Amino acid sequence: MTGARQPDGRWLALPALLVLGLFFTAFGTFIALSLLHAVPGTASIAGPASLDNYRAVAGLALNREVTLDTLWLALQLTGICILVGYPLAYLMARTPSRTVRNLILFVLVVTFLSGGVTRAYSWLIILGNTGLVNSLIKKLGFAMVPLVHNRTGVVISLTHFLLPFFVLTLFGALKTVPAMLEEAARNLGASRLRSFLAVTLPLSVPGLIAASTLTYAVALSSFLFPALLGGGRNPMAANLIYMKILDAFDIPAAAAMATLFLVIALGCVGLFALVERLAQPRFPLARRHG
Amino acid sequence: MRALDTKPYSGSVVAVGGLALAFLVVPVLFIVYYAFNASRYFALPPVPLTVHWFANFFDNERFQAALHASFEIAGLVTPLSLAVAVPSAIAIVRGSFRGRALLNTALLSPLMVPGVVTGIAFLGLFSQLNVASGFWRVTAALSCFTLPFAVRALVANLHGLDPALEEAARNLGASRWRAFLHVTLPQLRPGLLAGGIFVFVEAIDNFSISVFLTDVDTTTLPVEAYNYIRDFDDPTVAAMATLLIGLTVTLVFLVQRVTGLDKFLDLK
Repeated sequence: MTGARQPDGRWLALPALLVLGLFFTAFGTFIALSLLHAVPGTASIAGPASLDNYRAVAGLALNREVTLDTLWLALQLTGICILVGYPLAYLMARTPSRTVRNLILFVLVVTFLSGGVTRAYSWLIILGNTGLVNSLIKKLGFAMVPLVHNRTGVVISLTHFLLPFFVLTLFGALKTVPAMLEEAARNLGASRLRSFLAVTLPLSVPGLIAASTLTYAVALSSFLFPALLGGGRNPMAANLIYMKILDAFDIPAAAAMATLFLVIALGCVGLFALVERLAQPRFPLARRHG
Repeated sequence: MRALDTKPYSGSVVAVGGLALAFLVVPVLFIVYYAFNASRYFALPPVPLTVHWFANFFDNERFQAALHASFEIAGLVTPLSLAVAVPSAIAIVRGSFRGRALLNTALLSPLMVPGVVTGIAFLGLFSQLNVASGFWRVTAALSCFTLPFAVRALVANLHGLDPALEEAARNLGASRWRAFLHVTLPQLRPGLLAGGIFVFVEAIDNFSISVFLTDVDTTTLPVEAYNYIRDFDDPTVAAMATLLIGLTVTLVFLVQRVTGLDKFLDLK
């Protein structure tokens, strides 16, 4: 339509490429550092390059246990988010009332934006030994239940942190599943549960996997919540890496740990993405008859 | 026009959904209450209310320094991130060069990397480059890290725009730059606002990257709060949290007024 030389707009990508360059340079430096070693007693880092750090990191049983435990815990948290978050996303997508939808959106967005330290701290006080929950338990005449500095506190607070990610992503997908299809199934005599199981659920599988992938990826990199609510006794992978920096100030060893963890984490997230791709063609949205 | 008089979901969906909503909102409300709690510790029955902890927050020199640093950093990171995001989003949506899809994926990649890994990576880079200022280390790292938020918001915004408008301006003789400035940019206002708020809040709130890059001269609010929680047991951090929640609620209301929250979420 337009004149002779239409630029394709590649120069517009230049600033982004500079930022990405900085980002990937940081990672390049980082992987290079992981091959060197810290000179004991000083802040300097020296060669020769070797895989010693990786051998040391992988050789430590604690590192292997915590890594496996992190992968498993992230999976459990994703499961909890599906159970608790799916009904909420569904309610939000299907409610006929704009006010209800906006209220849910408002709560999700405010929670989402209200800050990690804020929320971790709030849970610390709510679940603490003299906190809201235990005060109520004591008033009812029961014995105190330890809810912080253990796995329970980490799971509760992390579920709270992850839920908005999950619900907001799933909501986007559920909205695109036409409510008409469900109504048609209902009109044909299917029960509510059956029309959900046979129509809505299969159609929402790609969105469900996308939301779970995001939730799993965010859960894997948890750092603040296990640090504050786990009381140092329930470290996740990121906490171990942090301790390596803080306690030993061994940047090369921490870099090796972080690189290994990054590879494992991306591998697991990649598995989710693979499942997503496999699930896609089986439930094409275009197939409207049924 | 609804086909059946019954609702499309059953009572149990409403019950679980309602409980989930309560679960989300309780900690936010609780921390606001706790900030006004006169006792140093939480107590039942409720104790009288006070603004003592807010005064404590504003009297604390370290919190004041962190407050200033956090807002200065976020005030730099937000325009920087948006300035890079606008041309990037236009290149992704309107460009016709090869590798646009790859650029889009690459721009989202910082989100996939655990914050701790990003933090250590930047720590390593800056220590090699001898960047010793905590302020600039955090600003540079967060500008890179928040870029995906801004790009996503603007890409979603641009997808909804009609390129014919800009073409019309060009056909009427406007330069490319003028057409962009007077036709496209005003239409990008919702994306700039939504993206800007996301970036700003993330820059104020980020902990896992900043904790590695701050130094004795510059700490940010979350890092200072984290240190405070470890050393003291009183509601001063709750007062800080309440102020930040107030800021967030105001910003979300602003989005609601300007673009509507549903639009805001279509960006996801």
